[in-house]
Amino acid sequence: MKNLKSGNIGLACLATVVVLSFPLLVTQPTYQNFAILVLMAAQLGVAWNILGGYAGQVSLGHAVFFGIGAYTSSMLVTHAGLSPWFGMLAGGVVTSLFALAIGWPCFRLKGHYFAMATIAVAEIMQVVISNWDYLEGAIGIYLPMAPSGFKAFVFTSKIPYYYIALGLLLFSLLVNLAIERSHVGYYLRAIKDEPEAARSLGVSLTRYKLVAIAASSFLTAMGGTLYAQKELFIDPPSMLSTQLSIKIALIAILGGVGTLFGPVVGAIVLITIEEMSRIYFGSSGQGTDMIIYGAIIIVVAVYSPSGLIGLWRQAKGALPFWRAAAPQAKVGEPS
Amino acid sequence: MQKFIRHLCVSAISLVMAAGVARAEDEIRIGVIYPLTGAAASTGVELKAAAELAAAVVNKEIPAPPGLVAGVGLPNLKGAKIKLVFGDHQGNPQVGATEAERLITQEHVVALLGCYFSNVTATASQVAERYGVPFLNGSSSSTPLSQRGFKWFFRTSPHDDLFVANFFEFFKDMEKTKGAKLKTLALFNENTLWGGETTKLETRLAEEQGYTVAEKILYPAKTTQMTSEVQRLKAASPEVVMQSSYLGDAILAMKTYKELGFTPAMLMANDAGFSDSEFLKTLGKDGDFILSREVWSLDLAEKNPLIRQVNDMMKERNKINFTGNSSREFTAIAVIADALNRAGSTAPEALRKALSETDIPGSATIMPWKGIKFDQTGQNTLGSGIIVQVQNGQYVTVWPFDVATKDVVYPMPAWDRR
Repeated sequence: MKNLKSGNIGLACLATVVVLSFPLLVTQPTYQNFAILVLMAAQLGVAWNILGGYAGQVSLGHAVFFGIGAYTSSMLVTHAGLSPWFGMLAGGVVTSLFALAIGWPCFRLKGHYFAMATIAVAEIMQVVISNWDYLEGAIGIYLPMAPSGFKAFVFTSKIPYYYIALGLLLFSLLVNLAIERSHVGYYLRAIKDEPEAARSLGVSLTRYKLVAIAASSFLTAMGGTLYAQKELFIDPPSMLSTQLSIKIALIAILGGVGTLFGPVVGAIVLITIEEMSRIYFGSSGQGTDMIIYGAIIIVVAVYSPSGLIGLWRQAKGALPFWRAAAPQAKVGEPS
Repeated sequence: MQKFIRHLCVSAISLVMAAGVARAEDEIRIGVIYPLTGAAASTGVELKAAAELAAAVVNKEIPAPPGLVAGVGLPNLKGAKIKLVFGDHQGNPQVGATEAERLITQEHVVALLGCYFSNVTATASQVAERYGVPFLNGSSSSTPLSQRGFKWFFRTSPHDDLFVANFFEFFKDMEKTKGAKLKTLALFNENTLWGGETTKLETRLAEEQGYTVAEKILYPAKTTQMTSEVQRLKAASPEVVMQSSYLGDAILAMKTYKELGFTPAMLMANDAGFSDSEFLKTLGKDGDFILSREVWSLDLAEKNPLIRQVNDMMKERNKINFTGNSSREFTAIAVIADALNRAGSTAPEALRKALSETDIPGSATIMPWKGIKFDQTGQNTLGSGIIVQVQNGQYVTVWPFDVATKDVVYPMPAWDRR
C-alpha cells in the first residue's frame, strides 16, 4: 500500500461504495445472482492462489476440498441439526486435516507430478463419496429450504448471500494479504522460485507447503459450505468433478497467479464470459457458447500468459487513461 | 476493459428491450431447461426438437392427429400461442438454478420444464418453488425429487422405485396369464450406487410379495471374467435372474452364460447395458430372448396410431425417431398446454391448480401409460415402464399386455436348442 496516490484512494472509496451498495441498487435477482457467482468464484480463486500462486504448487484437485467442506456442513445440518455457520468452520477444520494428510506424501512430488497426484486424489474421493451410503452416495444431499434466516443460513432473498459471499471473499483476501506480508509469504515465494536455495537457508519446504495447503483448503471448504447453502443440493458430480477443480485453477491463472487481486479479476472475466456466452448462444444447442468461451481463454493464454493482471501492468505505462480508471489500482504492487 | 464493460451494458440493455418487444399479448412463455452443451448435448438437442414439435402442435402450426391431447391447443385462452424459451444447464446443478432464475425473473415464463438430469432438476425446481412458479419434470427418475413436499413440483415420468416395482407386477401378470412359475429369484447387479440401490429395492419388494431370493451377487462392473459368479448363479438354479449391468459387463455375462450353458427361465434386465445399441451389435443372435425394462419403444406405434403419426411428424421435421427421453418431453409440453387451457389463465396459482387436477387418459398421449394424474406429491400415479424382449434381433414390447406388440417368449430357450 506504500505507493497509493490520492486519486487511487478516491477510486478505492468509490469501488467500496459500489461493491457494498450493488445489491441495493440492482434489484433484478438475475444480476444479483450473477454478482454472487462472481464473488464465489473469486473467493475460490483467491483460496487456490495461496497454494498454487504463492507456493507454486499447482493443484488440479481443489474440488475435493470444496466438496469435503460442503459435505461436512451439510451432514451436520441434516443429521445433527447444527447450524451451517458451525458447519462452515467444522468443514474447514476437517478439510484442512484431510489436506495435511494428503499433502504430506504428495509434496514429495514436484511440478507436473504433484498436479497429477491432486487430480487422482479428487477422482478417488468422487468415487468414494459416490458409493458412501451414509453420505447419500450418488443421490446427493437435499438441504432443507425452511426455516430460513440467519441462523439456518438459508435466505429467500439474494441480498444476504451477496454480503456473505463478499465477506468470505474479503476474509480470504485478508488471509492472503497476511500470508503475503508475513515471513511465511517470503518463504513460500522462495520455495516457488528457488526451492534448493530456500532449503539451503534452512527453510523447511514441507512444513511451509503444508501451511499453504492447510490455509488454502480451509478457505476452499468455506466456499463449499456457501455453495451448499445457496443451492441447497449437493452431489458428487457437482461438488467433486475435475472440471470444477480446473475452473478454480483457471480463475487464478487467468487473472494472474500469485497476485492478490489476480483471482478477482479472473473471476469477473471468466464468469462474465461463461454467463453471457451461455445466455446469448447456449439455447441454440449448437455449442456456440463453449466455442466462444474456449476461444477467449485461448486468446488470453496466448497473449497474456502472466494473466490479466500482468497484461494490465504492461498496459499501465502505455495507456495513461487506464491508470486512473482501473479500480484495482488501490492496492498497488503486491510485493 | 472499458470497451468490454460498454459492450456488456449494451447487450444487457438490448436483452431487456428484446424481452419487452417480443412479449406480445397472446404469447405464453414457457421456460425449458435442457443440457444443450456438454456430455449430454446430443440428448439435449433431441429433447429440444421434441419440445419444439409439441409446441408447434399446440400452436396449430402443424395439423395434429385426432385424439392427441396436445392438438387441443389453447381455445380457452382465445387461441394464444405458447413460446418456448430454452435455457442450457450444461449438466451443472448450479447453472440449472441460475437459468431457472433467469427464465423466471427476466424472461417472465409462466412455468418451467426440464431438466433431464436429476441433480439439475433438484436445484432448478427449488428456484421455481421459491418463486411460486409451476415446475413440470418430464424425464428425471431419481425418487427423492417428488418426496420433498414441494407445492409447485410435478413429475409425469415414473421414478426409479416404480420401475423396479414394475418387474414384480410383470411377474405377477406372467403367473396369472401364462401360468409361469417365477418364485425363485437371483439378483445379479453391478456394485456401484445404481446396482446397489436396485438390489436393496428388489430384495425388499421380493420379501413383501412372497418371492424367494436364492442368490444375491454384486460384482464390479469393470470385471474381466464372470465364471465364478455365473457358476454360483447356476448352482442356485433360480427361475428368474434379475440383472443390472452396464454395457461391457452385460455382454460378458451373456457370453459366460452361453459358455457355461446357463439358461434361467427368464432373464430380466434393468435397461442400461442391455438396451445399448452396441449390445445386439456385439452379441447378434445370442442377445435374443432377454427381457429388459424400458420407458418407451418405437414398436409401440404398431398398436397406437397416435405414436406412429407423431413419430412421422418428428421424422419429417428433424430426421430422427422418438426415444424414451424425447417422447416424455413431448408429453410434458402437452401436459402443460392442457393445464394452461383448463386454467384459462397464466396466473401461477390457477396454473398450479389446473396441473394438480390433470387427468389425461393414456390413449391421448404417446406414452405407454394408463394416463397422467398427479398425487399430493406431484408424482404422476398412472405412469409405468414397459418391458421389451429381444426377438429376432429387435426390441419388441411385451408388457404391459394391452400395449404389447408381440407375445413374450417364455421360458427362455436353452442355448443348445436355439
